[in-house]
Amino acid sequence: MPAAWPEKDDHELLALIQDGSGQAFGVLVERHTERFYRLAFRYLQNKAAAEDVVQDAFLKLWENPANWQPERNSKFTTWFYRVVVNLCLDHRKRKGPVALDEDLPLIDDRAPVDEMMMRAQEQRILEREIAALPERQRSALNLCFDEGLTNQEAAEVMGLNLKALQSLIMRAKTTLKERIKNCL
Amino acid sequence: MSENQDDKLARLLRSRRTEAASPDLAARIILQAQSLPQVQNISLWQAVRQLFAEFHLPKPGYVFAGALVLGMVVGFSTAPENVQSSDASSSTAQSYIAGDEGLL
Repeated sequence: MPAAWPEKDDHELLALIQDGSGQAFGVLVERHTERFYRLAFRYLQNKAAAEDVVQDAFLKLWENPANWQPERNSKFTTWFYRVVVNLCLDHRKRKGPVALDEDLPLIDDRAPVDEMMMRAQEQRILEREIAALPERQRSALNLCFDEGLTNQEAAEVMGLNLKALQSLIMRAKTTLKERIKNCL
Repeated sequence: MSENQDDKLARLLRSRRTEAASPDLAARIILQAQSLPQVQNISLWQAVRQLFAEFHLPKPGYVFAGALVLGMVVGFSTAPENVQSSDASSSTAQSYIAGDEGLL
């Protein structure tokens, strides 16, 4: 692989992928797999399912790179978030609601034990309540808080206007504050 | 109080943990892609060019095909005159034969 490849931006790599470059595809996958896996995991709460979804999303891009149309999409990641979210929703429709994984390592191992226990408990309750939120509110939270997208980017991913997204986040936070008030 | 709740909720939301992906996930995806063909969306012009490329001939082939076409053109353009002259000669022969028959 030429040394300059990792410095190419996503749009350059996608243009090369459209010309059939497997190396460009490799660079793109290495660059973004972790980020999209994290998003898929938030939706599916299952490692194997999240990995499958990310793999499907990238393979669809490889098989049909013309799906990416730079003139219609501002940023590759924004467009690909939407692809991954849609695949997660399809997966959930097929497999039903997710059960929270009891083995999920929620504890920050740098903290003292009693603090760790307390945080683990808080996070478990939070995960349970987030899982109970309506789909769109959960999506808005995942995109804005986990992925660190701006509200505008999250709105684009979800196909909403900015005000609608802000309203979803506000409602989600109000519901969560009410439900986990004992932890706050 | 409400401000504190907001801050704590935001902190909790930002500190959610994820089970790490398999370290070879990216490598698996790349490997899988190598066995999948790409679907190429081509324009009409590209499709026409590809079609003509299927019928590509070496240069002597074009010369031979050109000579054949030229021969056919020349042949068709000169054929009516030949036919007329052959008609004329056959009618002369027929009148000669008819004259002979008359004598008999």
